[in-house]
Amino acid sequence: MIEFIGGTPYYILEFGDELVYFTPYTITLFLLALTFTVLVIISRPEKQVDIAFGGDAYRTKEISLTEMRFRRYMAIACGLSSMGAMVTGDIFNFTLFTAMVGITNVGIVAAVKSPHVQNAAYQYGLVALSATVPLFAGAALYAASTGSLSMVELMRGSLPQVPLIAKALLVIGVIGEGMAPFYAAKAEMFRAPGAPYVIMCSLSSLLIFLRVIEIVMLG
Amino acid sequence: MWDQYNLGLLVVLISGVIGFLALALETDDLHRLLLLDLAEITTLGVIALLGTDLAEALVLPGLTVGIAELLALSQIYITKEQLKERPVRGLNIEVIQKADAPMIISVILVVYGLLLSGFTGGGVAGLGLVFYFMSRGYKENLNMLEMASGISWAIWIFAFFIFMFLPQYWFIALMLAAVGIVLKVTVKMSLVGTMWGEKHD
Repeated sequence: MIEFIGGTPYYILEFGDELVYFTPYTITLFLLALTFTVLVIISRPEKQVDIAFGGDAYRTKEISLTEMRFRRYMAIACGLSSMGAMVTGDIFNFTLFTAMVGITNVGIVAAVKSPHVQNAAYQYGLVALSATVPLFAGAALYAASTGSLSMVELMRGSLPQVPLIAKALLVIGVIGEGMAPFYAAKAEMFRAPGAPYVIMCSLSSLLIFLRVIEIVMLG
Repeated sequence: MWDQYNLGLLVVLISGVIGFLALALETDDLHRLLLLDLAEITTLGVIALLGTDLAEALVLPGLTVGIAELLALSQIYITKEQLKERPVRGLNIEVIQKADAPMIISVILVVYGLLLSGFTGGGVAGLGLVFYFMSRGYKENLNMLEMASGISWAIWIFAFFIFMFLPQYWFIALMLAAVGIVLKVTVKMSLVGTMWGEKHD
């Protein structure tokens, strides 16, 4: 049995190109993503209330049902792609799931009418799109230097050492999808109403960052 | 061999740095999006440098993700800038609209594309259709084309299942995949060339 950084794997599925494994570490992250996706599915969205200071006046923001439906759909897609990123055993699949999290994050707030939020989403989208450059380049360098994209193979230790630059590019790519210092645009996106859905933006990038730490420590 | 790879990597990385430099200097939102698309191409370069079958398989998802993000961002840009009416028509040149030349060129491209088959063939054939639609200012309900694209994609996926579960029938799977992908890419490209975001009922 191979020993992973995240503990001894409970289960490894190797089927063609598909490679999925669960270690105690990844299964924890997977369950977290699953829980939040279920929460997104069953919960009722908030209604934002603005209170005018110095008076009793307040106003609620009305959001149409179709807009909420779209946002829920995007939040569920974001949860699913985070789950995929948690359990996949293939470096390139991981980068694809990460890029998809970036797209769905933009999608969650894209239907919001507020120009402030739109602008933040656009700026975040630019960063996320440019982050796919180091992300995919890192994965390609993994394949070029070791000849394999399989995390299980990397862990067996029979492959050559992964160059530091490949790992660095992978981490930079993940950081670009929404960790500090690129978190600023994302924080502005949270002004969008619709509480359980916007939280998915934050949670997904946190989970992906936790996963990439395991990946760079593998080979 | 290894030296060639290093050299190629150097060239791609330098072009990436140039792209990102331009991106850092540019302040207009739309131009930044366009420059980003340019910088994105270096990614495909890095992947393609692997020079194996795997690289070919990885370029496609990389490209798709890039295009998906680009489409999403341009949609946000449109909402952000409150651009409502975007009348886009085909090439409004009388000679091209009346003459037979576009037809002939398109037919050559489509036939050559069908002969090539696979992704490349789909790309070439799709280009032919795009050129034809553009030159004629084609206005038609494209739902049928969208459906054809979906069905050919399903054929492609079905072929992959044959590869996985019944590998002894690999030849039929190969043919299905080749036909599916050539149709899919052709249709997809012609849709990209003709759907300007107008509403269909």
